[in-house]
Amino acid sequence: MASLTGKRKRDNNTGSTCAGFIFVQSVIYMIKVANLTKRYGRKTAVDDVSFEVKRGEIVGFLGPNGAGKTTTMRILSTFLSATGGVIEIGGMDIFRESMEVRRRIGYLPENTPLYEDMRVIEYLRYRARLKGLHGASLRSRIDKVIDSCDLSSVARTIIGRLSKGYKKRVGLADALVHEPDLLILDEPTIGLDPNQLRNIRSLIRNLADRHTVLLSTHILSEVEMICERVLIISDGKIVASDTPANLVGLIRGNPRIITEIKGDCSEIVRKFEAITGVTRVSSKALAQWNRIVCECEKGTDVRSEIFRIALQNGWDLRELTEEKQNLEDVFVSITALENGNGQTLK
Amino acid sequence: MGRFFNIWMRELGICFLSPIAYVTMVIYLGLSGWAFMQGVERNVGSDEPLQILLLASLFFLLPILVAVITMRLFAEEKKSGTIETLMTAPVTEAEIVLGKYAGAIGFLIIVIAPGVASLFLLALLSPAIGITDIDMGALAAVCAILLLVSALFVAVGLVVSLLSKNQIVAAMAGICVNGIILAIGYMESLLPMHAGKFISYMSIENHLLDFGRGSIDTRPVIFYASTTIFMLFTAIRLLGLRRWR
Repeated sequence: MASLTGKRKRDNNTGSTCAGFIFVQSVIYMIKVANLTKRYGRKTAVDDVSFEVKRGEIVGFLGPNGAGKTTTMRILSTFLSATGGVIEIGGMDIFRESMEVRRRIGYLPENTPLYEDMRVIEYLRYRARLKGLHGASLRSRIDKVIDSCDLSSVARTIIGRLSKGYKKRVGLADALVHEPDLLILDEPTIGLDPNQLRNIRSLIRNLADRHTVLLSTHILSEVEMICERVLIISDGKIVASDTPANLVGLIRGNPRIITEIKGDCSEIVRKFEAITGVTRVSSKALAQWNRIVCECEKGTDVRSEIFRIALQNGWDLRELTEEKQNLEDVFVSITALENGNGQTLK
Repeated sequence: MGRFFNIWMRELGICFLSPIAYVTMVIYLGLSGWAFMQGVERNVGSDEPLQILLLASLFFLLPILVAVITMRLFAEEKKSGTIETLMTAPVTEAEIVLGKYAGAIGFLIIVIAPGVASLFLLALLSPAIGITDIDMGALAAVCAILLLVSALFVAVGLVVSLLSKNQIVAAMAGICVNGIILAIGYMESLLPMHAGKFISYMSIENHLLDFGRGSIDTRPVIFYASTTIFMLFTAIRLLGLRRWR
């Protein structure tokens, strides 16, 4: 992790050396945040945060409650100002060229605020006009978002009477209606049932072809499913930035292989200990079966060897798995570390 | 301009979507109509001009009416969070404030206008008063002063709504502030001569009586126009300030 942020810092420094390079950077990067700080009175909500998001990327923004996710997203969406730092969206400074930036972002705030007494179609028409669409382009864009967000059956319904899932989709349709380059979605899947969740997720995944997406969420499996990259923020600081797979790799300790096998326990343990790469074998008897856990050296995979030994000795084998660590473990380990009671990453 | 118009039309339209608007309308028109009738009955034989009776009946509930209309302007957006989507759309603070202001004024005119018509209704129904007895010039002056005072009251209500998250608080504070503006004029007799004279220029009651008699003075026009513009400017700045909290 340390090496990653280090590299990024070097990129920042070289970025300002020549105009051509800056231009190239603005083409590559949709969001460039440098040393962003936000203080509310004495409380520092976001503390010297720097990160970039490339065009066309889907980036997940993770962090415990109160870590500064919503504040950062509000600043990116121009709703709040920053206490310090430079933010560029599509190569434009969000404070100096605020209007132009707002035309290029679609923002879905937490809890999806909507005008509850308007009908879906009225609301979308109002929002589209507000974002500068009119005439034929307005009609065609509204038809398109109603279609892509699957709202045609509720287009004439009053928003206040819609279910949570539909409201989310109306919010998403609003964020999409002016075809923004960048979508900022603050917890787009919170409070949805599994079916709605699946729909919204596939909708977001489909958006990735034409838009850059920055989304925050608590659901870690969701990030693993949708996002190409993850930013973990804790206590106002970015503590990790990488692909979900790499992050999992980062904290993965030595691999552990779990087997359930029928046979003479001491014999099994002896044979397994002889496999190269296995450092420790522990066993536990389960009726006629033995549950054997082999701890191995980093980077080794002894599963095929175990299978071969079982086959040679005629032992029945009903389970053979490598214990997987997921993003949840990464999240807990990194954010707990920030609070001073976790394990170190290196 | 297009975006201002868009916000204006939504603000005006939204008034007719909630039952509160209709309830307010019915109560206001009922009470002011009743007050006008009482005024006419009690002044039978006196030389009190009809348009002043009308003005008094339309004016006495105005601070409350304005508070009910303006309380939701920003308080509701802040409470529901829609202010976030509104302020992240490519719209300037001035467009938001002026659009909302125009919507509220528009609705207020729609509510008050039938009240003005009750004068014509009286002329039609009463054998003693004919349409020709209505002083059209003075009636125009009455409408002008009502509009000017409403313009200021709505601007004040808008600023108050911007400062609160709770609609009830916004309504109460709006009534109080507009009540204080109204009360300033009555301090004339409490103050020493020069200060009292200065205060009398700001007395809404004096303006109402002058205009009610049909004399249009430019000083109150400038007073209401400038204070309204100041209030709207304050509102635009306050809205911009939200980003810096």
